[in-house]
Amino acid sequence: MVFLSVINWARCRGPDEFWRKRRIFRLAAHYIGRRRNCYSIAVRNVHRALVYATKARKLKKEDMKSLWDVRITAACEQHNITLFSLREGLDRANIMLDRKSLSDLASWEPKTFEALAAVAKYKLETDRFIDGQDKCHPTGINLNLKDVMLEAWLNEKKK
Amino acid sequence: MSAAKRVQQWATFARSWHIFDCKWQDPYESAHVIKKYLMGMHKPIYHPMNDCGDVVVCINSREIALRGDEWRKRAYFHHTGYPGGASWTLAWELHNKDPTMIIKKAVYRAMTGNLQRRHTMQRLFIYPGENVPEDVLQNVTNQIRQIRYVPKRLDHIPEEEVKNYPKVMEYPEDFVVK
Repeated sequence: MVFLSVINWARCRGPDEFWRKRRIFRLAAHYIGRRRNCYSIAVRNVHRALVYATKARKLKKEDMKSLWDVRITAACEQHNITLFSLREGLDRANIMLDRKSLSDLASWEPKTFEALAAVAKYKLETDRFIDGQDKCHPTGINLNLKDVMLEAWLNEKKK
Repeated sequence: MSAAKRVQQWATFARSWHIFDCKWQDPYESAHVIKKYLMGMHKPIYHPMNDCGDVVVCINSREIALRGDEWRKRAYFHHTGYPGGASWTLAWELHNKDPTMIIKKAVYRAMTGNLQRRHTMQRLFIYPGENVPEDVLQNVTNQIRQIRYVPKRLDHIPEEEVKNYPKVMEYPEDFVVK
């Protein structure tokens, strides 16, 4: 006898099921309890972990930025300058150092940082940048208004 | 490590003890300064996981100065956890009971509310007067500058200095000063 239809009733779930699940289990190897052994529980937790990893790429940059800011502020205070003044002075002097470089210099090269703070202070002094504003003389100071017949106009009799 | 490098390592990472005189200072303004030193944010090597905070010793916390009507109006809340255990204590009452509490609460509130807060608060020592134990004073190496200017009381100036101070004019003998 030849049983031809019995073979058709056999079901194969998915030929690569083992390897699909192994991809998830490899990421869940360090989880606790059923989360590392049972697929339906592991898959939920692994997906959450991957979502956290995606969101954290942006958060890491924000965290590092704030940490660098704190470090640079601390170093600035040792040299009697504010972070704002330092950044303004260095920008005006065309010294384009980012937060990472400044914080690394503050930790590892203190004398270099002291020199940078001095450069910023000197630049702000020469620019007369006081209290966040340019307190320079008004621009018309060198115009000789006498030459422009202003006095004659002022003394003119108005009808 | 060479000797010079060891010295540099110690100088960078050692925990220093600071002293702060709270006389006639606003506790909330000084709390911001104290919190900076406690957390180690005054160091370029700062990191929250680095344990780089310093110790701060506050003296004269009894002579603290709150603004305006705050002594009469500011209330501190406390709940014991049991039903009916809520209590509102006014600032002057709290100060009479324990002169160190106001500045302690101010510093606690100034810090970020994370799990390191309680651990960092243990580095803060507060004394109501000038009486500080000797072993604490021996470790102190730096004084934190006060925020508010403390003027000198005119009746605390020594008599000799008052007499010797140059005068612009002298009142005539029969002048009646009201």
